[in-house]
Amino acid sequence: MTRATAILWAKFRIGKNQLASVRNESKLKVGVVSVSAVLLWIGAYFAFHGAFRYLKYFDTDYVGAMSLGELIMSRLLSVFALALFFMLLFSNTLIAFSTLYRARENAYLIQAPIPWWEYFIARFVECVGFSSWASAYLGSPLILAYGIVKGAPILFYLAAAMFYLPFVMLPAAIGAMIAMALVRVFPRLPRGSMIGVGIIAVVMLFLYLRGNLSMSELANLDFQDIPKALARAQSWLLPSHWAARGVLGAAEGQYADSVFFFLLLTSNALMAVAIAAGFAHWVFYPGWSDLLGNDMNRKAPPGRGWVGRIDVFVNWLWEPHRALVAKDIKLFWRDPAQWSQFVLFFGIMAVYIASLRDRPAAMESEFWRTWIVCLNIGACTLILATLTSRFVFPLISLEGRRFWVIGLAPLTYRQLIWQKFWLSVITTSMFTLTLVVLSCYMLEVEPIFFALSLYSIVITNFGLSGLSVGLGSLYPNFQEDNPARIVSGMGGTLNFLLSMAYIAIVIGAQTTMMVTKVLGLYANDDQFKFTLFLVVVGLGLFSAITTFVPMKMGLRNLEKSEY
Amino acid sequence: MIRTVKLTKRFGDKVAVNSLDLEIGQGEFFCFLGPNGAGKTTTIKMLTGLLKPTSGTAELGGKDIQREPVSTKSIIGYIPDTPFLYDKLTGREFMRFVAGLYQLPKEALNGRSEELLELFEVRHVGDQLIENYSHGMRQKLSFAACFLHDPKIVIVDEPWVGLDPKNIRFVKEYLKQKTREGLTVFMSTHTLSLIEDVADRIGIIHRGNLMHTGTIKDILTLAKSPGSLEDVFLELTRGENE
Repeated sequence: MTRATAILWAKFRIGKNQLASVRNESKLKVGVVSVSAVLLWIGAYFAFHGAFRYLKYFDTDYVGAMSLGELIMSRLLSVFALALFFMLLFSNTLIAFSTLYRARENAYLIQAPIPWWEYFIARFVECVGFSSWASAYLGSPLILAYGIVKGAPILFYLAAAMFYLPFVMLPAAIGAMIAMALVRVFPRLPRGSMIGVGIIAVVMLFLYLRGNLSMSELANLDFQDIPKALARAQSWLLPSHWAARGVLGAAEGQYADSVFFFLLLTSNALMAVAIAAGFAHWVFYPGWSDLLGNDMNRKAPPGRGWVGRIDVFVNWLWEPHRALVAKDIKLFWRDPAQWSQFVLFFGIMAVYIASLRDRPAAMESEFWRTWIVCLNIGACTLILATLTSRFVFPLISLEGRRFWVIGLAPLTYRQLIWQKFWLSVITTSMFTLTLVVLSCYMLEVEPIFFALSLYSIVITNFGLSGLSVGLGSLYPNFQEDNPARIVSGMGGTLNFLLSMAYIAIVIGAQTTMMVTKVLGLYANDDQFKFTLFLVVVGLGLFSAITTFVPMKMGLRNLEKSEY
Repeated sequence: MIRTVKLTKRFGDKVAVNSLDLEIGQGEFFCFLGPNGAGKTTTIKMLTGLLKPTSGTAELGGKDIQREPVSTKSIIGYIPDTPFLYDKLTGREFMRFVAGLYQLPKEALNGRSEELLELFEVRHVGDQLIENYSHGMRQKLSFAACFLHDPKIVIVDEPWVGLDPKNIRFVKEYLKQKTREGLTVFMSTHTLSLIEDVADRIGIIHRGNLMHTGTIKDILTLAKSPGSLEDVFLELTRGENE
């Protein structure tokens, strides 16, 4: 057994033991998560199937030798592969940082006699496994739907499975190299320069996207021009293009092409892993030592920097809430894995706002305007759900082994979970309300839509915060210090799925009401106003239930638990 | 077996360990004492290769840990104060994992692993997940894992935490017995009463500087008035902030 395989063997056993310990989990939780995961997959499959079937209607129009429908389908797959590639690149940079530098076992592994490249390979395999399961889960219904609509041969599915491994290895290797390079560079920069570099990067991304990714530009295209617009994802230099071409080649029976692209992608992926392992040999240890040294020398004098002054900012709160809020904010800010992922949400918001640069021509039509506004509310609440699932759900678990401090304090669990709730509502509201106001302003929506959008985001802020804090208290994981791993556990998955279901109900009710109106299906204006009243009050009540029931269940669990 | 030459670690302006010169021979039981924040943990981290020194060298078994990290680490064992163990592995699985890290032959593993689990009284829980172990049981398992590859040097950081009196005595006697067989022990601890009958030599570090080294008898003579090792230690490090 090599050292790398010893680490991987241990990880495999840990996974197996964790799977076995699912037996001890609540049957309700396991049942809801399993059924929801299957339903979500089936739902995604039918959505993709429907979309591909729709595009088949355009098979009668031809662009060169290919039908328009097929051309759009194949180019959509290229866009999907490109988006997935960049998502994997970004997530792997973060995962590589936490796995290579921040995991609890690292100190043990690093004092063991393992060459750095071998340590890297073992942890790299772990990163690939950790980062790729979600893309496999989301990508498989797409591939299956495409294959079935297209009537692809069995080799198409085999090709998709074979291309997947090199396709995820490549961004994982590049992401790991970026993480190792950043660890070498960033700790040497003064804090001001680090923030400056971050701001410049976000501004450049925003400007780039404003120039290249305007929703209105895409929305105003003629159907015939769509393939040309989507062709931006097809560059010979993009590995995502090699994967898409190879898989699509297998669907068309062009196996020679498929084999060529498979070898091209695999050789590049292996080369990237080899370069990353060589890079790790030289760069990993100095970075690890610098980072450990930085941690040992970190000073946080009171009154210095905004985090040092946080006690002053929250001084208006009464105790013990002031102490808890100040502690939560400080811990969050001092954990790079936490705030770096938070920066990602600024990126998503920047992408979204940049894509709304100009009011699309479709907004002139009342029908499409209604749909766009409803989709805008959906997009904003989805960002909110991601925020609460990722950052709010782990708040109680992160008290972890320090829970005795709170347990011994003259403080009730009720106070504790309501403090987490209000902290969540206030912080997430700042971001999501800004997002809604900006997006409504850029879309130039009418007052009723603006009010409805604001109302939705306010109630969902309460509902999703209550759900995340409540379920976080009901299914806490006090053994884990890494919030990303807390979120990916059974409790975190259940919270995410229930958050999605809650959003689907809120957005579904509003969209049905508004689309019914635009289709002129209400008998008169009074009937619409009555329905509007019912929806507003009903969703308010539904959100109140979504807030209070999980909070009550979570509180009961904390009170009866022994620490 | 352990030799440091002008070993220094700086964190920005702060000198955590300043030009440490140490020489510890084979079979020696060396105890490293100092107030909190004196530089003991930083020294241990440099000796185990977790931290890169700012300057100077650390040689273990004649090899520089920075230049030949893999071969040097293969002859040392490390027991941290709070043992890291994979909670979702069983005790036996953890021993097998450690054997893999140290490249031990499979046939040698089984007998030795069981022997050590028995010796440190964790064999009966060997098939339970580590998450169910008490702190003391975890500490005993980390001792068992540390000796699996038969190290030539053992670096121990405050090993008594969580151990009951019987096990403390056992660990003390076991380490002492191993030093008679040629093992070198470098131990950092605050529990002065427990080292008086095992330490061959003591080093006192404070503010990153090695102040004194010598046998217990030598150290006791440094006091202005006669007293216990604890009294002398407190006198030598008086005025130090925690």
